[in-house]
Amino acid sequence: MSLVPITYKGGVYQLDEVIDYIEDLGGYIVQRHNIANEVILQILMPSEDIERLKVFSRPLAGEVSESPLVGTEIAVVIPSLEIHHLPHSACDVAEYLRAHGSKSNMLGMARGFGKRISQMNDEERDLINEHDVAVFILGNFASCIEQKFEKFRRGINIPIILTGGPSREVLEQQTVPPVAGYVGNLGRFMHRTQTEADIARLDAVIEEVERVVSERRKELALDPLSVSPARLQMILQQEIPEIEDILAPAPVAVQLNGLRLKLSYPEYAERIRSLVIEDGITVGDVCDVLPSRMRDYVLIRIRPLSETNIVV
Amino acid sequence: MAGLEYFKVDSTEDGGENYTHIARSVLQDHNLLSIVAGLHIYIDPKYPLFAAAGIIRPPRSAIRVSDVGNVLIEDGKATIAVGSETYLAPMLSMLWKRLGHDNVDQPDRFTVIISNVEIPEDLKDWIVIDPSESLFKDLIYAIQVIAPEGFKVRRENYGKNRFSYAASENTVPQKLADEIIADCFAKMEAELK
Repeated sequence: MSLVPITYKGGVYQLDEVIDYIEDLGGYIVQRHNIANEVILQILMPSEDIERLKVFSRPLAGEVSESPLVGTEIAVVIPSLEIHHLPHSACDVAEYLRAHGSKSNMLGMARGFGKRISQMNDEERDLINEHDVAVFILGNFASCIEQKFEKFRRGINIPIILTGGPSREVLEQQTVPPVAGYVGNLGRFMHRTQTEADIARLDAVIEEVERVVSERRKELALDPLSVSPARLQMILQQEIPEIEDILAPAPVAVQLNGLRLKLSYPEYAERIRSLVIEDGITVGDVCDVLPSRMRDYVLIRIRPLSETNIVV
Repeated sequence: MAGLEYFKVDSTEDGGENYTHIARSVLQDHNLLSIVAGLHIYIDPKYPLFAAAGIIRPPRSAIRVSDVGNVLIEDGKATIAVGSETYLAPMLSMLWKRLGHDNVDQPDRFTVIISNVEIPEDLKDWIVIDPSESLFKDLIYAIQVIAPEGFKVRRENYGKNRFSYAASENTVPQKLADEIIADCFAKMEAELK
């Protein structure tokens, strides 16, 4: 059974019934946003049941749309947190990714500025590697990107999408070996993205990220995970009520092959490992529960079927 | 470009044209478009070197106490009936500093009373804010924002009605930077005549 990422937009009227229906069909609500009278649900649900949900929500004027970025955590990486990148263009890209369903984190390096002097330390590299995809937002000059990006990509083992001012072809020529995705004509700018041309460039980023995420999903489907990240999220939320008290946005961030749980690792790791998923199989049997480099959070990596010989 | 009579970006590599938009946005955000008459930017990403030369228009005149409100001097007391609150806070700070905190009172939002002190005759001409004082600092800050980040070694000059800025992540090649800046000024002055 493959779970497909979708978004449901609708009103609060009979919302409980919609949620029950999604859960009855075997779907999982990854995130819920309440915006005034509107509710946006980010859902992972079996592909064959999406049509049923559409029919069910039609009288309630609910909209169901596919959004491939739901259930992903994406790092938007910028050379530094200086005014040169913030709030435009980095925040605009991060916000656009968020609007399309992903959980995006912005990561500015401590000493990433400059060409010859740019550096990335191991904490930053490990933090990027905890995400599903990294989008590198670089500048306007091809020669700078060529020299700088070589340093940044070392040790990054997740798919990288490189964006910059030069055209896509130029970016492709400079990166050997190639990275997973490229978006050209998106260099440094200092204005709000509001014109049609600006939005088109952000759309190009989304398109590229969606393509890379879909490829990654296909790769993961070849050796399925022992448990779905969305199911694991539900179990954690049921068994650890303290999650309700976490003030951080997205207390449990769902990723393609795991989760980030925003609780203290030293305090909760053992409790999480011993949680029973089904038939005596515990979280520790099918997952690696690791300390995250983000504060003292917990990072859960779900092991594939080939390693555990279990699918729950 | 609105406000700028001369504006040019020279770059030794493709991508320099983006700096036209960046410079325009930054100057607009910092309310400097009406002050800068000419700006010439030179970028060499290979070395790397960033140089900027600019000519400014005469800055706005200073804001005086009489611009903030009407001054009425009577019975050894001065009453300022505040007309515009924009510069009220800097005016109070200036009065407190020069006349003493105890002698300057603000009984309500639009009234400032000065008492217990000899009232200076030229009170209404006292300068609250002189925009030209912070103008060059603002300009240099704006150019720093325009310049590619990481150009930490920098040299800036300002005086009279012109300013220049050169920056790099390596040592700034002084002779070359001076030549480039002089060339920028020559082109700009020829155009602005």
